[in-house]
Amino acid sequence: MTEEKERLFEERLARYQATISLESTDRMPIGATGSNYFAEVYAGYSNQEIMYDSDKWIDAHIKFANDFPEVDVLRAGKIWAPLYDALGCNLYKLPGRDLPPDAQFQYVEMERMKADEYDMLIHKPVEFFMERYLPRTFTEFEDRGSIRSYIAFLKGGVGFMMRGAIYRRISETLKNECGMPIPFQGAFLAPFDFLADGLRGLNGIMIDLYRQPEKIIEACDSLISQTVRGALANADPLCRYPIFVPLHRGNTPFLSPKQFEEFYWPSLKKTLEQLIEAGYTVRAYLEGDWSQNWRHFRELPRGTVVCDIDTQGDIFKASEDLGGWQCLAGGLPDSTLILGMPKDIKFRVRGLCETVAKDGGFMITGGCAFPYDTKPENFRAYVDAVMEYGHYSDHVNMQMKSSAPSAKGILGAQTPAITPWETKKKEIGEIMGDEQLIKKSWEMLESVAYNWLWAWTW
Amino acid sequence: MESGSELSQALSDLNESRIYSLVEKKLANNEDPLAIIKECNDGMIRIGQLFADQTYFISELMFSAEIFKNVMAKISPLIDGGELVDQNADLVVIGTVKGDIHDIGKNIVVNLLKGTGFNVVDLGVDVPAEVFVKNIQETGAKVVGLSALLNVTFGEMKNVVDSISKAGLKEKVKIIIGGAPCNEKVREFCGADYYAKDASEGVFICKRIYSQAEAVA
Repeated sequence: MTEEKERLFEERLARYQATISLESTDRMPIGATGSNYFAEVYAGYSNQEIMYDSDKWIDAHIKFANDFPEVDVLRAGKIWAPLYDALGCNLYKLPGRDLPPDAQFQYVEMERMKADEYDMLIHKPVEFFMERYLPRTFTEFEDRGSIRSYIAFLKGGVGFMMRGAIYRRISETLKNECGMPIPFQGAFLAPFDFLADGLRGLNGIMIDLYRQPEKIIEACDSLISQTVRGALANADPLCRYPIFVPLHRGNTPFLSPKQFEEFYWPSLKKTLEQLIEAGYTVRAYLEGDWSQNWRHFRELPRGTVVCDIDTQGDIFKASEDLGGWQCLAGGLPDSTLILGMPKDIKFRVRGLCETVAKDGGFMITGGCAFPYDTKPENFRAYVDAVMEYGHYSDHVNMQMKSSAPSAKGILGAQTPAITPWETKKKEIGEIMGDEQLIKKSWEMLESVAYNWLWAWTW
Repeated sequence: MESGSELSQALSDLNESRIYSLVEKKLANNEDPLAIIKECNDGMIRIGQLFADQTYFISELMFSAEIFKNVMAKISPLIDGGELVDQNADLVVIGTVKGDIHDIGKNIVVNLLKGTGFNVVDLGVDVPAEVFVKNIQETGAKVVGLSALLNVTFGEMKNVVDSISKAGLKEKVKIIIGGAPCNEKVREFCGADYYAKDASEGVFICKRIYSQAEAVA
C-alpha cells in the first residue's frame, strides 16, 4: 500500500469511526452503507457474475471506488454462490441459477425446524443441526451416509474457508489499491431472528407465539452465548469496524410493542451488551418500521450502535428519539433513488443536512442500502450534495482507532468442542510429547467445525 | 366494537381451543356449515379492524389464518362439491409480480380477503403480466392486487398496468399495489389506482370498490 493510500484509508476510517462514536468530524461520511447493491452492479457485471466469479466481484468494487472517490466505506455483495451449490443449500434462489442472471437473490421461506424441536435445539444443538436442520437445508445431504453426502460436507468446509479468503481479499484490495475501508466485519442475527428466519420460518414463529411462547423465550436465551461467539469469531481482531446485525422481525407490524419487549429485545440486548463490552461497536439495520421500538437503543452506551433507519421508518422521528445518543443512517427513500431526479436527491440531502444531520452523528444513505436500481445520476447527485452541504469543520483532528478486544469482554466466549479433547486423548492413549500443542489445535478445529454447523440459517 | 356470535367472538379473541369446541358442537347439532363460515367471516372482519387499529399485529393475522384454515378443513367435507366460497361473492385476483417470489404479505391479504367473504384467485408468485390479464378477462374481476417485496419490481408493476390497459381492461378493473417498497410515488409511477399500506387497508379498498360498483349498477 502506498503512503497516499494508507493516509486515505486512515482518514476515511477515522471519519467513519468518529461519526459512529458521535465525535466531531470534518464532514459526513459518504456512501456509508453496509449494503451498496448499486455498487455491485455499477461496473456492468450481471448479478450472477458477481456471485460466481470473485475476480469480477473484486473488480466491481475497485471500479466503483475509483469512479466515486468521495465514498468513505464500501461493501458490495455478500453471497459467494459456489459454496451454496456445493452443499445444495436451499436458503436462496440465486441469479443465473434459479432466477434470470440480473435478478436479485431471494430468500426461500421454509419451516426447517419443526414445532416440537425446541428442546433439541436448546439442549443438543449439534444433534439438532446434523440430524434435523442440515438435512432439510442441504439437498446434497439428503442421502446421508452416501459418498456424495460426505464429499458435499468436505466441499462445504473447504468452500467456507475459501469464502473467508475471498472476503479478506476484497477488504485487503480495497485497502491497498483504493485506500477504502469496509463498513463492518463479522455478523450475527438477533436470537429471535435466528429462530424466525431460517429455523421456524415466519409462519412457524408466529404460531409459536401463541402455542408455545415459553419455548421461544427459553430458546432465545439459550442462543445468546453462541450468537456472541459466532460474531466475535469473524470480527476484526483490532476492533476497527462495527459488527453487523440485520434486525429482521423487530418491527411493527410483525410484532406488537409488547411482543417486542417480551420476546425480541431481552436476548438481543444481552448480546449487544456483551459485544460492546468486548470493545466493538455494532451496526444494526432496523428493517421496516421500528418507530415504536427503537427507543430501546437508549439502553445501550452512547455511540456504540449505529442504527440504520429503513425507508418505512420516519427519519425525523428517529432523530428526535435517538439523535445525539446513537449514530443514525438513512434518510433517502428507495423510491427517490430509483424513480426520482437528481434535483429531488439534492433537495432531500440538503434538507437532511440542515436538520437531522446538522450536528453530526449521521450518515445519509438509502434505507439500510443503496438499491440495485439507483439511477447513476442520482448517486452522483447524492455524493455532490453531501460534499456541498455535509461539511462540518476544517479544524478537526480525526484519528483512526485500533485496539485488541477487551479480555474481560471475551471471557466465556470459548466455543464448545463437538468431540471433547478428553475423549480424543483417551483414544490416542499415552501422549509422548507436549499435550498442550496437540490439544490446542484439536480444540481450534473443533470450534471452527462447531461454528460451521450454525452458519446456515441465513 | 359490536360483538357478534360466540363463535365469531372466540375467533376474534383467538381462543383456539374454544373455537374448535364450538365448531364441533355446531356440527354435532347439524347446524348449516355455511352459517358457521359466515360467523367465522364476522370474526375475521373484526380481526381485520383490530389490525387496522393497531391492536392486533401480524402474528394475530397469521394465527387467525391458521385457525380459520383448520376450521375450514373440518367444514369443507360437509359442503356439496366442497365449495367453501359463494361463487357469486366479490372476486379479487391477486399475485406477486414477475421477478419476485415473496408471498407472505400476499398470503396474509388472501387469507383476510377469504376470511371476510371474498372469492380470491391467487396467482402465486413470479406472475407474468399476461397471466394477470388472462385471469382478469376470464373471471371478470373488478379488483386486481399486485404484490411485491423487492424494490426492483417497480418496472414490472408498470408493465402489468400497461398490459391491462393494452387489453382494454383499465376501465373495468381497479388495480391495487402493496408490499414493503410500495408508496404513493410508486403507485403514480406504475399507474395503479390504489396503494394499500397494509392488509387491512387492502381489504377495505376492495370492499369500497365493490360497493361503489354495486351502487352504480
